[in-house]
Amino acid sequence: MTHVVTDACERCRYTECVAVCPVDCFHADAARLYIDPDVCIDCGACIPACPVHAIVDAFDLTAEQERWLAVNAEMCTSLPLITEQEAALPTADARRAELGF
Amino acid sequence: MADDNRTVLGACPHDCPDTCSMVITVKDGKVASVAGNPDHPFTDGRLCVKVNHYEERVHSPDRVLYPMKRTGPKGTGQFARISWQEALDTIGTKWKAIIAESGPTAILPYSYLGTQGTLNGLNAGDPFFNKMGATISERTFCDSGACTGYIMTLGPTAGMDPESLQYSKYIVLWACNPMSTNTHMWPFIAEAQKRGAKVVVIDPARTRSAQAADWHIAVKPGTDAALAMGMANVIIAEGLVDKEYVDAYTTGYDELAQRAAEYTPEKVSSITGVSVDDIRKLAREYAKSQPSAIRIGVAIERNGSGGQAVRALSCLPALVGAWRKPGGGILQLPLWAFPINWGNLMRPEWVQPGTPVLNQWLLGRVLTGEQPDAPGIRSLFVYNANPMVVAPEQDKIRKGLEREDLFTVVSEHFLTDTARYADIVLPATTQAEQFDLMFSWGHLYMTMNLPWIAPIGESVPNTELFRRLAKTMGFDDPQFSYTDEELAERSYDWTAPTLQGITLDRLKREGWARLNVPAPDQYAPHAAGGFPTPSGKVELKASMAAGGNFVLPVFRQGSNEFQDGTPVDPLPGWTKPPAGDGLPFALLSPKSHAFLNSGYGNLRRQQAHAGEQHVVINAADAAARGIGDGATITVFNSTGAFQAVAKLSDEVPTGVLQSPMGYWPGAGGSVNAVNTARFGDLGRAPSFSDTRVNVRAGA
Repeated sequence: MTHVVTDACERCRYTECVAVCPVDCFHADAARLYIDPDVCIDCGACIPACPVHAIVDAFDLTAEQERWLAVNAEMCTSLPLITEQEAALPTADARRAELGF
Repeated sequence: MADDNRTVLGACPHDCPDTCSMVITVKDGKVASVAGNPDHPFTDGRLCVKVNHYEERVHSPDRVLYPMKRTGPKGTGQFARISWQEALDTIGTKWKAIIAESGPTAILPYSYLGTQGTLNGLNAGDPFFNKMGATISERTFCDSGACTGYIMTLGPTAGMDPESLQYSKYIVLWACNPMSTNTHMWPFIAEAQKRGAKVVVIDPARTRSAQAADWHIAVKPGTDAALAMGMANVIIAEGLVDKEYVDAYTTGYDELAQRAAEYTPEKVSSITGVSVDDIRKLAREYAKSQPSAIRIGVAIERNGSGGQAVRALSCLPALVGAWRKPGGGILQLPLWAFPINWGNLMRPEWVQPGTPVLNQWLLGRVLTGEQPDAPGIRSLFVYNANPMVVAPEQDKIRKGLEREDLFTVVSEHFLTDTARYADIVLPATTQAEQFDLMFSWGHLYMTMNLPWIAPIGESVPNTELFRRLAKTMGFDDPQFSYTDEELAERSYDWTAPTLQGITLDRLKREGWARLNVPAPDQYAPHAAGGFPTPSGKVELKASMAAGGNFVLPVFRQGSNEFQDGTPVDPLPGWTKPPAGDGLPFALLSPKSHAFLNSGYGNLRRQQAHAGEQHVVINAADAAARGIGDGATITVFNSTGAFQAVAKLSDEVPTGVLQSPMGYWPGAGGSVNAVNTARFGDLGRAPSFSDTRVNVRAGA
């Protein structure tokens, strides 16, 4: 099992999660981040770090969120690793407000 | 309760080197959530897959909350609630009768580190059972063999500070998978890696840590001692020895060199499966990349030469002068940095001469009467332990626990496979509901655990359990009326240099404190020797070997009688393990990623993370037996059998299987059904990595 980045990351891409991850399990494209399930050790450090609560323990995924499990795994096979925190997207604050955080 | 909202500083109670500082949120009198303390340098704001939701353990609907007595056949789990008074009266009456008829040695305590707090952990029941005169339990579950080997070589020194690993130039993780079992150490390794250090993992399986390392060396199971001696051979033969350090701070160099000469790279290659070139490369890089570090995991001891492997590995840092700088040396068990008053914890002076000692790996044989020279055991008292999961020869343990004439008492959080056989079950508090003070066997911090909430139901901490039992048995020594705070005060030498500036009050206020030792970038405890061995030097040839094989008294209630005593070679080396009935596979049974020994094996979140009970098998081996990925297979040998799901992976080489320990067996068995109680070479460590098995498709 693993932890999973859900769609709340889209248009935010805060990357605070990357700074606290002890094992470098995040991959990214321009839009958002994904967790490599083979590398994630389920430490949970990223969950409270995410300003928009985009990361979920796979055990806690809702039925609606389940699909992100496979998406995370698949995207990580081709996307590059991200190991340093980066600036959030310009749309991040608006998106965060929209999500109610 | 509705307005009881607080934040509490606590400590993780588990048998893990990380001993995390926890921040607990209490809402409406319940534990709402737990988090890693961001201010603690080692915890660094994270917990782990095991305890991230400790509140689910505390408030589980399956908790045992009241004393219970058995109402159906043993093992069926039929119990009825009784009062504490009835439970204590029943135990007292039964034990007094047994003592009158058969003597106190017919009673056997069984425990380990279900919680490892100073007060409620390893030695929590020792004063009580020593006072009673019960048979002594020798607890060699973990690191006892490594401790014997390490102490024969280096003495009881803390060794390296794990935080100093960030300054290492070369890190060898040997039989150690920190990604799963020491996760808070990993960032210090990753930091070293970023600074250019090379990280090497030596493990038969390509573990999570091996995948993150720069180099994985897949040694054959049980051959670590040969590989370590091969390194010594190359280091000596190629003149890579730090002569000055060796001359000043070691004894027995010439004898070790003579022994190491037998371990040529060619010979070692044939034993270990590691190529001659890789053996040479490993030795050269390790010697030349100073400061170099070796971190050994608990698994190192789990074979017939495991203790001597630790001896050999403990010699290497001295040979290359690794101890000279912070970030150099070997890390085994920094527990020895803590000035613990072991005598006050155990009260060994109460042990009557001649009191028998039984090793706890032998429980199945003892209960079934197969163990020669063991006293007849009529009552078993289990706390902090679940032998049906963690101990070998599972079928024998089950058979023993079924004995109608055995009076079994189990103190627990849950109705475990062991507790299901109890006559009386007692409710134990979780860490949320108890006071404790934690040492660590993986870093250099003291951590305080103040109770987060009041005990749930009628559960009690082990300290209170033994106060009640002492009263029941009429033991009136002051030991049994000390409060938890008095016990904590008595547990440490607060005047010791390492505790200067640290008091119980400060710990209660601040939650944790680093021992008064130099900072990680300054900590080089043996830069100028000072090893706490009989000679004061690294004993490459061990003078303590003359006394024969032994288990440290802290693992045997303080007793030093009836030690193993078998002869020990004062020089390290590898011994060929028994053939194991010629069965085709070596079976490794490492700790699970998501369970903590047997802990959490019953909780849904951790079960989901661990996945079904499985056996990792190389695809070639699986294909040869018609086993597909996900198929049910049976693993068997002459000791027993268990069923699991096959997981095809190149993480293990052909000829090696891996099945994690921690799954609750229920009716189907788990990996300890096929492990045997044969000891390794030192400290009565288990030899589980020597286990040989076969597999077949189907149940």
